[in-house]
Amino acid sequence: MTCEELLQYLSDYIDNELDEDLTAEARAHLATCHNCKVVLDTTRKTIFLYRERGKRAISAERRQELFDKLQTSFLGKASE
Amino acid sequence: MPDDANLLAALRERSPEAFRELFELYSDRLYRLALGLLRDENEAEDVVQDAFLRLFEKLDGFEGRSRLGTWLYRIVHNLSLDRLRAKRPLADLPDEDDALPLPVSFVDWSQIPEKQLTEAELARYLDQAIAALPEKLRAMFILSEVEGLPAKECAQILEISVSAAKVRLHRARLLLREQLSQAFAESTISRE
Repeated sequence: MTCEELLQYLSDYIDNELDEDLTAEARAHLATCHNCKVVLDTTRKTIFLYRERGKRAISAERRQELFDKLQTSFLGKASE
Repeated sequence: MPDDANLLAALRERSPEAFRELFELYSDRLYRLALGLLRDENEAEDVVQDAFLRLFEKLDGFEGRSRLGTWLYRIVHNLSLDRLRAKRPLADLPDEDDALPLPVSFVDWSQIPEKQLTEAELARYLDQAIAALPEKLRAMFILSEVEGLPAKECAQILEISVSAAKVRLHRARLLLREQLSQAFAESTISRE
């Protein structure tokens, strides 16, 4: 497997969606190619960081305001 | 995920508990997608509000051909892109078969961030990197990686094929990695 092919298959490799043969080829390439190993490790880290820290929420005060507005609208429809 | 049929039935009866369940389930998820696209808290809240209001209008006619969550995400995505288009044209994406962005940085920072950066610095880098992505890649990345949705559902929300969704995710990951590599490399150098 070449570096270009590894790059092409990188997401499938990370997501365990490559077939056995391609997975073995990717592993063999990664064992000898420092740059591709760095790209793999830092891509995995990128995904990890956003999965761990990307879960922002509406602030509590604004969330309550939004809840109240929407609830009024929702329940208002019941009396129409 | 809850049973959509039961929740929808209760919503059609205007059950306050069903409304609370709907809001608890989806408000923050929808907000993250809207905020990720619009980069403005007020606008993101407006879009979330509009999406729920649209659902209330359509409750009686909602046929359930798509899951409730998929439908809400799609409305938020479309409303957000409409707002962005009103300000400027959206960035064109390369075709599915076009060459991938080649890695430029080969600095191994995979062990660095948590050790060398404060929480605020790390949050700022992550925020700046994702803001630099074209909106359509950003939407796919948020739905897949932050919200944890499978590619098939992301494709339904974005109204594209599953293969196109996977290509968008792959490009988004590579571009974000590159952005973060440069940011972390600069941060490390500036501390030495």
